[in-house]
Amino acid sequence: MMLLRLITWPYVRKHLVRCTLTTAGIVLGVAVFVGMHTANQSVLYAFNQTVDKIAGATQLQVSAGETGFPESVLERVQEAPEVEVAVPVIEAAVQSGIEGQGNLLVLGVDMTGDRSLRDYDLDDADEAIIDDPLVFIAQPDSIIVTTAFSERTGLQLNDRLTMQTMAGPKEFTIRGVMKGDGLASAFGGNLAIMDIYSAQMVLGRGMRFDRIDIALREGVRVEDARRALQARLGPGLDVEPPSARGKQFEAMAQIYSMTANITSIFALFIGLFLIYNTFNIAVTQRRSEIGILRALGATRGQIRRLFLIESGIAGLAGSVAGVALGVVIARGLASYLSGFLGEIYGVAQRAEEISADPRLLLSALVIGVVTSLIAGWIPARAAAGIDPVKALQKGRVQVISEGENRLRMWVAFGALGGALACVFFGHQPVFFYTGYLLSVVAVLLLTPALGSWLTRLLRPLLKWVRPVEGALAADSLLQAPRRTSGTVAALALSVALVIGLAGIARSSYDHIRRWMDAALNPDLFVTSSESLTTRSFRFPVGMAEELAAVPGVEEVQPVRTARIVYQGVPVMLVAADVGKIAARVQMRVIEGDPDRMYQQAMRGEGVVVSDNFAMLRRIATGDVLELPTPRGLLKLPVLGVVLDFSDQQGTIMMDRRLFVEHWGDDTVDVFRIYATAGTPIPALRQAVLGRFGGQTRLFVFTNQELREYILGITDQWFGLTYVQILVAVLVAILGIVNTLTVSIADRRRELGVLQAVGGLRNQIRHTIWMEAATIGVLGLCIGFALGAVHLAYILEITRRDLAGLRLEYQFPVEIALLMLPVLLGAALISALGPAEGAVRGSLVEALEYE
Amino acid sequence: MSRIWLFLLLLSPVFAQNAREIVAESQTRSRAGSQRYEGTLEVIDAKRKITTKRWIYERLGSAGASKAVLRFVEPPEVRGVALLIHNHPDRASDQWMWTPAVQRDRRIAFQDRRTRFFGTDFTFEDLEERDVDRSTYKMLGEETIDGAPCWRIEATPRAEARSQYSRLLLWVRKTDYVFAQVESYRGPKLIRRLKYSQIERVQGIWTARTLEMHDVERDSRTILKLEKLEYNLDLPAGQFTLQALRRLS
Repeated sequence: MMLLRLITWPYVRKHLVRCTLTTAGIVLGVAVFVGMHTANQSVLYAFNQTVDKIAGATQLQVSAGETGFPESVLERVQEAPEVEVAVPVIEAAVQSGIEGQGNLLVLGVDMTGDRSLRDYDLDDADEAIIDDPLVFIAQPDSIIVTTAFSERTGLQLNDRLTMQTMAGPKEFTIRGVMKGDGLASAFGGNLAIMDIYSAQMVLGRGMRFDRIDIALREGVRVEDARRALQARLGPGLDVEPPSARGKQFEAMAQIYSMTANITSIFALFIGLFLIYNTFNIAVTQRRSEIGILRALGATRGQIRRLFLIESGIAGLAGSVAGVALGVVIARGLASYLSGFLGEIYGVAQRAEEISADPRLLLSALVIGVVTSLIAGWIPARAAAGIDPVKALQKGRVQVISEGENRLRMWVAFGALGGALACVFFGHQPVFFYTGYLLSVVAVLLLTPALGSWLTRLLRPLLKWVRPVEGALAADSLLQAPRRTSGTVAALALSVALVIGLAGIARSSYDHIRRWMDAALNPDLFVTSSESLTTRSFRFPVGMAEELAAVPGVEEVQPVRTARIVYQGVPVMLVAADVGKIAARVQMRVIEGDPDRMYQQAMRGEGVVVSDNFAMLRRIATGDVLELPTPRGLLKLPVLGVVLDFSDQQGTIMMDRRLFVEHWGDDTVDVFRIYATAGTPIPALRQAVLGRFGGQTRLFVFTNQELREYILGITDQWFGLTYVQILVAVLVAILGIVNTLTVSIADRRRELGVLQAVGGLRNQIRHTIWMEAATIGVLGLCIGFALGAVHLAYILEITRRDLAGLRLEYQFPVEIALLMLPVLLGAALISALGPAEGAVRGSLVEALEYE
Repeated sequence: MSRIWLFLLLLSPVFAQNAREIVAESQTRSRAGSQRYEGTLEVIDAKRKITTKRWIYERLGSAGASKAVLRFVEPPEVRGVALLIHNHPDRASDQWMWTPAVQRDRRIAFQDRRTRFFGTDFTFEDLEERDVDRSTYKMLGEETIDGAPCWRIEATPRAEARSQYSRLLLWVRKTDYVFAQVESYRGPKLIRRLKYSQIERVQGIWTARTLEMHDVERDSRTILKLEKLEYNLDLPAGQFTLQALRRLS
């Protein structure tokens, strides 16, 4: 403590800006980690909260993915001896149609029994409805809303709310307003309760339920009841506690979690190098202090501990600030994430509050401190190893010793060899990820050597641009590789992160465009929802004939899409007329003979799966899928694998007749419409809207609009990537500012001497600017190399562990080129302050020592 | 002392037999081939607010094996809503509700029998006809209710009846075997009290024209008045089916 007070504290006070910049590296790393994970957790928490609040006293739920099941299942459940109460539910997020209110979660329930499960804490209602479900049931336009929704919209008891139903626009009467923080607070209060049979009508569900909520008889264990009910109902229906829905959502959002992890690790790595760099310089600057301490009797252990404690404190301070900043970031990110996860997966949740898990925050603190300690370990060891006699002598010490350099190179080549060896065993995740880590470590360890080598290469160029300043800048970097290598490494990591993210974005866009060209070629798409991922509303199949009768329509292809739970993960089932689709669509076939595959699929002899489905579940042609249907387990062979981007978790395509037969559901989500040659598409669209607009809820997209919609969703997904790129660039700039600030402070005497012997202020400025630009170039060069490797690994991770997508390797040349002016510009801007500080400082102070 | 206990022990089977016979006699005396009435239902909640509904009730058969249709006629917002009940002597009744506005019938699940019957103080179970053999009986003594001497009988629903109540206390008038009062208990707790009044002889059958159910927990009351009561009408059996319910709407 004494050493900290006497040695560290004065140093921190003197170099407050530098210490703050150093800590900022950890702040950003921890903030990204906390921000992304907290936002993710908040969305998950919001989803679970919605599930919990809606579940009420529900102990088990019977479901069948998004397809629902026939009403007859209810009686089978109610007859089970374990069941005390079993009530049917329809749940759907629908557009409220009220500006600024977004989605409204419609809960269709049977009021005769539902109050045994859910507490409708009514604040205000018609006299009768408080206690009398008869009035509620007898009037199918009845809805109950929440106090929050009522306050936000100004809608009150007996007011009317118009909703687009499958039978056209329909007015609903608010017959009750719920209060409290139970059911009424689910989905941020944007909840509407209606009678289940009204909900069936509104949403076009036919005579099907989405779910059955169950309360068990007293004394019956949940797990025992789950098993018994599952056995009674068969494998086509899922019997799970409400919490299982959260797990399914978690599985769907896994891609995001993994991306967040990779970015966080990179951000922390960058922070690690920033800290390492600053401590390294600090050790050099405080050589004389260390020498005096050692001469006065301080042991090597005490010196090492002093520096480790300093780095620990810096890590702790940075982590605390990072946690706080992360929570702020999470606030902004959560609603964005909530919106697009809802858009992509069509899952009802509204993340309006941040749910910061104390364990996550504690982990972030620990990770921040440990990262900082790791970063401080080598400088601390170097400080402890300082010879007191040499320390009190003048001279440069920034040159990496031959021994140290050799060791570093050996370790680097060892890591490189290890990474290459791992490539051969890459099918094993352990080897694959070890290889990834080793390759990054190898490049980082080689950074000082590569930096020196590149600087030597650049020296003539720098000298050519500015003979004196260029040579000075290059020599400064060559003579003090330890000072810059940390920054170059941090910069290279940032650039590599950007290259990886941009590369995957570029490849994804490219593939999605190609897939859209092949698969989405109808002229019009008629959907029941403005969001294609929402399948709450459904058309009756009879509408296909009516659509076909519209003049200008050549062909109508009814498609039913629904998520079903396959091996615990919701995957997309696409039921369409395979013959018609095959005749019009040329999807890229990865496995199987296209003609035979489609012929067999048409006859209902199997299914065609998407490439990502096959990859994620290690499935190949010929394997048999066991699909849960309300009629039991349907076993079908995989006939072929095609490239399809319909769903991140994968797609199973089957003939519509097979789906109708086994799921007992003939409703339709989307009609694909091909126009006859020469028909103007806008006119056809108007004709369809004119024919059905007043009668049913429908949306008509042109081919172009649908493509834009899909690209919009992709933009939303990669929107996060752009945020990550921004963070990476910010960290890079921070690194350069830090290094230059340190560098100027470190070279005050040298710069002072230069001025004293006649060096012009502009020469000093230009030297520092060129030094900054050179650091930028070094970071960019090494970063591009590391980025190229990183991209290859990220693509492989995406293929095998994240999305199962076979994305081609495409180096993002445009982004790389864009990084040149951005980072060099940032480097120059970063150099402005330190350069001015150097030329405007007191010459006397600078030469004081001399 | 032990002699007194022995005497009571020997006496109890006699009382048990009498208690069951009394309830059976009550059931026999109220037996009719069919029944029809127009009911007025007044619900007086804890705040003494009164809501009124009217229905037409028709029943075919008797004593636990009957079929009944209850059709709401007022207020206008519930008009046409109907309840079909098929009572069974050996198990709980089947009940369906028809909602004309959505043209759908829904089965009232067995589990929902304990829930309140559409905002009244009756539960769906209270509307079932209780067959004498679905409970065991014990004579508790005699008491006067509203000036009429009554037997006080404890009825314990058999396990297979799966009643929401653990026991019921029945007061049966000695003069005409008509129920004067029923108290329903869950454990030691009194849940509901049903009082029968305005007892009149209609077509030779002694019938209570007013039933008042008191939900003790909620402190609310429901008064059901039977008007235009008729027995042994010629009601077609086909009227007591789901198809008929749908057709008539």
